[in-house]
Amino acid sequence: MSVLDILITYHIAFLQGLSVTLQLCAVIWSVGLVGGIAMGVLGAHRRRSWGLTIQGTSFAFSAIPTLVILFWLHYPAQAMFDVVIDPFYTAALTLSLVNLFGVGEIVRQAVADFPRQYIVAGRVCGMRTRDIVRHIQLPILFRQLLPSLMILQVGMLHASLFASLISVEELFRVAQRINSLIYRPIEIYTALALFFLAVCLPINILAAWLKKRYTRDYSER
Amino acid sequence: MLTARNLSFAYDDGKTVFNNVDLDIDLGGITVLIGPSGTGKTTLLRCLALLDQPRSGEIAVDEQRFAFPIPAGGHAPAPWPRLTAVFQQLFLWPHLTLRENILLPVRLNGLEDGHEELDKLIEAFDMGAFIERYPNEASLGQRQRVALARALMLKPHYLLLDEITSALDVEQIAKILGYLKTLRGQNIGIFLITHLLGFARHAADQVLFMDGGVIAESGTPDILKNPQTERLFQFLSVIAAAS
Repeated sequence: MSVLDILITYHIAFLQGLSVTLQLCAVIWSVGLVGGIAMGVLGAHRRRSWGLTIQGTSFAFSAIPTLVILFWLHYPAQAMFDVVIDPFYTAALTLSLVNLFGVGEIVRQAVADFPRQYIVAGRVCGMRTRDIVRHIQLPILFRQLLPSLMILQVGMLHASLFASLISVEELFRVAQRINSLIYRPIEIYTALALFFLAVCLPINILAAWLKKRYTRDYSER
Repeated sequence: MLTARNLSFAYDDGKTVFNNVDLDIDLGGITVLIGPSGTGKTTLLRCLALLDQPRSGEIAVDEQRFAFPIPAGGHAPAPWPRLTAVFQQLFLWPHLTLRENILLPVRLNGLEDGHEELDKLIEAFDMGAFIERYPNEASLGQRQRVALARALMLKPHYLLLDEITSALDVEQIAKILGYLKTLRGQNIGIFLITHLLGFARHAADQVLFMDGGVIAESGTPDILKNPQTERLFQFLSVIAAAS
């Protein structure tokens, strides 16, 4: 059975898996980006309280493997609190938290390290704080943050594969199921790779377009 | 008039930078501050620009007074861009072209369009060849001219300039300083930190010599010919020997 045959035969299963993966990513990306940016800005302005909390938690999330956190929240934590939560929500919560603190720390660092001289220049030029934020800080930060945030979001898409290990019927889980039926691992995982390429391609095109449209090299020539 | 009375500044670790500085900058006058490196000239300029907080003293910008330490209830907003500054590091925004760097604050301050006035400055400062470039594509000398143009476009009453000719060639220095002299006619008070004693001699109304955190000597440009203090005499001798 070729890759094409597998895609044709099991296209409904694959599309269902893709749908779950995209739903998962929609939650992870939106919570991570919206919440993380807000948290990062707050952390940069309240360094002692929020800043240290975000820094510490982000370090913990980056040091502890995502899989361990996922298993911990799925099995022992739910047993401890005597609750049963749908694995999809557990995976969405876990990966959203990882993304939230990842984005938060990237944004916190960028805002905290923003060159103060650009703000000073705006002030002596009589610009109001909101004008400085809108016309100076945001454009410079956007250009600076775009590449690292994009890489992190693609990383979170890949991390969504871990959800299969707590029985979320996402793309990887579907591929494993099909493999257990027909045992064609090379073809099946190649088909899986094609799906991930298809999802990542628009993200990469968007990233490249945004980079071309909004970023430029600031280094001295 | 821009005045400072008993102005003192110290870092958080208690190290004093300058003490009891008094100065007056008249509208339409040029005040030149000279002195050895590391003596607190730039810090004094930042305090006068109301960017750094002196430990004590008072700054008055026309009728507006700013006492230090800041009294309970705070200060009125600083009168930027009526009082503005150009720093040695220039601080041009890297994501905007040089033209946009000049016009953005003009637009946000609700000043008139400014294109016509900018064209005059482009001609006066020879900026036509590079005005559409980004700051990182321009030389330091070109950026110095743009930073000065940005400040001038805001029609300030008081213009504080920190070594703004350090990267310019002789011809450009002559053009810029010549232009500054014409600002007298526009009733702009200029405070300039420079090592160009020739400019101080010919164009300044007042020369201040800062050393060891105090204004060691001040007066008309004549003090550069007949210094009254040993320290200024030494300073001028060193500069004369070096040049």
